[in-house]
Amino acid sequence: MPESVQRALAAFRRALDRRLLTALEVCARCGICAGSCHVFASSGELQDTPTARGEAVRRLYRRQYDPLGRIFPWWVRAGDATEEDLDALADAAFATCTLCQRCAMNCPLGVDTALIMKAARAMLTAAGKAPEMLVQLADAAVARGENVEVFRDVYREIVADLEQQVRDQLGDPTLSIPLERHGADILYVALSGAHTILPAAIIFHAAGADWTLSAFEASNYGVFLGDPEKAKAIARRIVDEATRLGVRQVVLTECGHAYAALRWEAPSWFGGEFPFRVRSIVEVLAEYIQEGRLELDPSANPQPVTYHDSCNLARKGGLLEEPRVVLRAAVQDFREMAPNRAEAFCCGGGGGLVAVPEYEEKRLRAGRKKAEQIRAAGVPLVATSCENCFLQIRDLSTHYGLGVEVTGLMELVVRALLRARTKSQPVAAVAA
Amino acid sequence: MGACAVAIAGLARHLVLLLGRPYCPEKARPAGSDAQGVLYAFTWGMLPWAKESTRRHLLAYLRGVVFHIGIGAAFLALLVGPWRAEFAGPLRWMLVALAAASGVAGLGGLVVRVAEARLRRLSTPDDFFAVALVSLFTLAAAAAAVVPALVPAFYGLAAATLIYIPFGKIRHCFYFFFARYFFGAGFGRRGVLRWGKGHA
Repeated sequence: MPESVQRALAAFRRALDRRLLTALEVCARCGICAGSCHVFASSGELQDTPTARGEAVRRLYRRQYDPLGRIFPWWVRAGDATEEDLDALADAAFATCTLCQRCAMNCPLGVDTALIMKAARAMLTAAGKAPEMLVQLADAAVARGENVEVFRDVYREIVADLEQQVRDQLGDPTLSIPLERHGADILYVALSGAHTILPAAIIFHAAGADWTLSAFEASNYGVFLGDPEKAKAIARRIVDEATRLGVRQVVLTECGHAYAALRWEAPSWFGGEFPFRVRSIVEVLAEYIQEGRLELDPSANPQPVTYHDSCNLARKGGLLEEPRVVLRAAVQDFREMAPNRAEAFCCGGGGGLVAVPEYEEKRLRAGRKKAEQIRAAGVPLVATSCENCFLQIRDLSTHYGLGVEVTGLMELVVRALLRARTKSQPVAAVAA
Repeated sequence: MGACAVAIAGLARHLVLLLGRPYCPEKARPAGSDAQGVLYAFTWGMLPWAKESTRRHLLAYLRGVVFHIGIGAAFLALLVGPWRAEFAGPLRWMLVALAAASGVAGLGGLVVRVAEARLRRLSTPDDFFAVALVSLFTLAAAAAAVVPALVPAFYGLAAATLIYIPFGKIRHCFYFFFARYFFGAGFGRRGVLRWGKGHA
């Protein structure tokens, strides 16, 4: 047996807990889940059904663990793993399954194929068959955590420049972007790039929040690899930072997988609840709006807007109503896409697919269902609160000629916030 | 009795194997309730309108429901077999109807599994055999209640079904309860499955 296959099977043994065993055993192959998968709905190909993906792992499982699979493998379609099997599995687990769990919601038995695909990703990562880009991104994040002093001063200068930029833009010298300030209430964790820092700074300032910016980015590519050690190492940077600073809550920017990872998965990696809350900026925005801490003028966003539910925030995260609270306050004409909330279709870019250039064609094809939904919504603007969804929908708009713009919730809120501020203050004062 | 012992011992082995694997429930602060999610998973969540898949495939859903209710009826018929003579009237005819409908639904499902190329390719020999065996078992249950001469055939098929439960796909009846529990507890804890929440 090739060494890579041995490593894959060892990883499978480590992953085989009660939930995974149940998911492998319970499927009756009724095939009713097929249409719930955005990939199958777009391609119509057998290998894109959740059942077929699950069977790719069950085949190996039965050969190792099922008495009939060991004695009469043909009877239950069991088989020994080969390099070719792993290559085919890599396509199923990394390129066509976004781990969105829509099939689990639609299975009459509750088969969690995403869980099986996570185990497959762990096997493939152990076998050295994970996409190189995901491995590099995860390794870079771990390295950043291990060498934080090297980049902290540079980052401080970048943040100072951003602070000056936003002060000049708003004419408000009191606005600040504190970096790693001890004792703040909120540790805000952004993504790489100013686009997730500046709107948050404006919102926190307007709400009078006691906040500070993290030195790290929110994304966690270890999760995409199904590698709990790397995922933990990446999460540890933020956990240690939050603990060291003594913050009461960690607020993650508009990033679906970062939320699912740190909010829901990470406490299990670290053995228990954190001494701080983990929240999405979407929850915080909804809270500020409901508490009247943000004065918004929705006329700043007059065009019809629909909302794409990120799988990680909605179906896997439970943030179903919070984005709608934000949108109803920040835009004039909010229209639901159908289906939505926990039943929403994945955009096709989740599970790390957006980051892997060689999967571009597949993810654009898989996004056809979402493109059809957006077209049916008949709006010029799609809001979403996940960076991967944002990038995918922007690409879908180009690919399918949808002619829509994509925006985040923070951006809409900032527009409404600034419009309200312009109205409540003399124009000269705002300009100054 | 021997076949029943095999089924019980086989399923007990599955239980031991399952419980022997680690279980790591999420340690994150809950946003909803595990219990509420589990309740949803076994009640509202099983209804045809609760899921897009069953709304779209209502016939397949109903076929499955009829099939499985009839299997229960057939096992009930097996259980009360020694007192068969005392079971007359409406109860007997209800068991007959449920078991017969189940057999028809099962064989219908088998035809669909053979006829639909996608389903056929997804199926293993075990899938075809298990559905055929259980369908014959339920049909035999119905027939034996009407024609006493068929009782030996019913017992024979019941024995075969019981013996096969722990080995083939029929054992999904055992794992079903765990799968629904994990489904409900997971999504319930995260605040996704709540009454009146989560759907368009």
